[in-house]
Amino acid sequence: MSLIIDVNNVSKHFGKATAVNKVSFEVEKGQIFGLLGPNGAGKTTTIRMINHILNPDTGSISILGEPVNPQSQEQIGYLPEERGLYKKMKVFDQLMYLAQLKGLSYTDAKRAIDFWLDRFEANTWKKKEISELSKGMSQKIQFIATVAHDPEIYIFDEPFSGLDPINSEMLKQVILEEKKRGKTILFSTHRMEQVEQMCDNICLFNQGNAVLEGSLQSIKQSFGNNTVLLDFIGDSAFLNELEGVRINNRSTNFAEIRLLENSTPQAILEIAMKHAEIQRFEVVQPSLQDIFISTVNDTKIAT
Amino acid sequence: MVNYSKIWLIIKREYKTRVQTKSFLLSTLLTPLLILGFMGFIIFMTLSDNEAPKQVVVIDETGRMFKPLTQLDATRYQPISANQTIDQIRELVMEDELDGYVLFERTFLSEGTPASFIHNGSGGITFFESLQSDVRDVTRQIRLKDNDVSEAVIAIFEERPAVENRRLNEEGVDEQSNAFLSSIGGILIGVFIFIGLFGYGAVLMRSVIEEKTSRIVEIITSSVKPIELMLGKLLGVCLVALTQFSLWIATYAGVSILAAPVAQFFINQRMGDVQNTLIANDSSGTAATAPADIDLSFLEQFSIDPVFILYFFVFFVLGFLMYSSIFAAIGAAVDSEQDSQQFMTPVMLPILLGYMLNFRIAEAPDSTFAIVASLFPLTSPINMVTRMLVSYVSFWEVALSIVLLILSLIGMLLLAARIYRTGILMYGKKPTFKELFKWLKQA
Repeated sequence: MSLIIDVNNVSKHFGKATAVNKVSFEVEKGQIFGLLGPNGAGKTTTIRMINHILNPDTGSISILGEPVNPQSQEQIGYLPEERGLYKKMKVFDQLMYLAQLKGLSYTDAKRAIDFWLDRFEANTWKKKEISELSKGMSQKIQFIATVAHDPEIYIFDEPFSGLDPINSEMLKQVILEEKKRGKTILFSTHRMEQVEQMCDNICLFNQGNAVLEGSLQSIKQSFGNNTVLLDFIGDSAFLNELEGVRINNRSTNFAEIRLLENSTPQAILEIAMKHAEIQRFEVVQPSLQDIFISTVNDTKIAT
Repeated sequence: MVNYSKIWLIIKREYKTRVQTKSFLLSTLLTPLLILGFMGFIIFMTLSDNEAPKQVVVIDETGRMFKPLTQLDATRYQPISANQTIDQIRELVMEDELDGYVLFERTFLSEGTPASFIHNGSGGITFFESLQSDVRDVTRQIRLKDNDVSEAVIAIFEERPAVENRRLNEEGVDEQSNAFLSSIGGILIGVFIFIGLFGYGAVLMRSVIEEKTSRIVEIITSSVKPIELMLGKLLGVCLVALTQFSLWIATYAGVSILAAPVAQFFINQRMGDVQNTLIANDSSGTAATAPADIDLSFLEQFSIDPVFILYFFVFFVLGFLMYSSIFAAIGAAVDSEQDSQQFMTPVMLPILLGYMLNFRIAEAPDSTFAIVASLFPLTSPINMVTRMLVSYVSFWEVALSIVLLILSLIGMLLLAARIYRTGILMYGKKPTFKELFKWLKQA
């Protein structure tokens, strides 16, 4: 495995505000890497620095062993969080322009654009202006604009936001396909189920700091088997009597219970059995959602 | 340092997307029509001096003014009929049967009581001035005669020596000059540059705002440097402006070559009409004199010197790049056109200043303030070009002006690029001048 993105102790300030504070992480070739964190945590700023749109105040970023530069930009396909295309420009002209800006020749760009338009069954849109397309259609064009120059690295900022379920599923498939082709994908999101399904490694941002970094599996393991999933029939009032726990998720007949100090699964089971008919009792690793929330809350208290 | 092939791609896009629009086609076609209209207007104005003669009744209580006046112009000055009253004449003037009447009271010659000219308002200042000069000439004649002045002295008073207005050009050949026309031309060319700087500056600013609000700018800057994008946009829009100006100049050149023969054709027709009216109105039996041949050589004044066109382009391009880099910075700093107003004002002031000074410079092209304005980089793109058209400007002045302009253009470009690259990625609150100043200082 070779290092493809190396973010090393990077900080970025805007005036007095610190957007990114001494962040380090590494992305290896062929990985899907997730940047997680609440809004305003510094994900987009970090992504812009990797894209060489912004320069870090301190620290360094390397792509394939070289400091970021105009050539490294051509290795990256970037889909920004706020999508945008020229509204009054024809689909083909627009894709051609953006691909040529990434360094492709006219013939190479034409071949790639035709391939992707075919793939998305969008060949008939070539001569249409973006303003004539539906939202879903222009999202596809936006995606083609990101990938047409066949970059080594894909960087997607909140790729699933605003996508309908069909486009969302299609994007997921494309990402997994590109991973199979050996491409590296870095994306930011706050949709946890997608991270759990797709990511190899993650980095969790909060208030400009990278508070958690590593492989998804090892992070989950480090939090231990400390979560109880409970399905039951009966009055759920007993959940309020439990001590030394935090209830992450509850409904009329389900609860996800996080064990804190001094509580054991057995104690919970005992109380539950007295009040309700138990249909499922399972001790599992915490969900990423839970890790996310508790880590963010912990760092909030700490700062 | 910058990637020229990427800048070239941006220039091409900026150029193509604009030149292919309907509004470009429309403004390119309509403006020559306006120029045509203007030239037609000038020709019409020149010709209207020779329009159908005015008729003025002379009510001469002195008994000495009427005859010499008819000797000057038998058509214009008509006698009062025996049974006509002043009220009847006034009636005729009101009904536009007559253009007016002049009343010389009995004491006009003896005591200098002013004569009065009552008219229906047609003819304007030129007509009034020529009538006034006729009255003065005749009065002078009478006084000279009354005082038994010798014929030789009378001849001296009647002499009207001619002055030919010829301008010496750089090749040492003197050519006919028309200071009035070249002043008009100077003002017009200034207006053109003013509109070009402003109009295309606004086009550029809108385009920067559009890229920012449509968020495409983030994709573009993940491929090129902000300064490359800005330069590409500036040069692309500048090329569009140059294309439009070239088309206009070509049309203008074509029209001015055709103007003389076309004008001659209309004059010939018109002369026929004038002759006919003269004969019809000629009740007094005095011989009608045909108007003198109209001198069309003034049309040569409409032709443009190719060297001047070159200078026009040089000053426009430099001025455009300087001002538009500021417009680009403003566009980058705001989220909408409305927000740009506050920042536009300080930029508009020097352009407006240059525009307004232009009218004075066209009149006094060699005054100190004209020289200063044509050297000062913020006004020189407008004012130097006007000065060059109206007067002769020495080469070192032009060269100095260009050097100063290039220096300030580079400075402005570097400052604007700093605001631009920070601004295009900033959304939300409109920055204050203080914040813009901070962006300038960021390395």
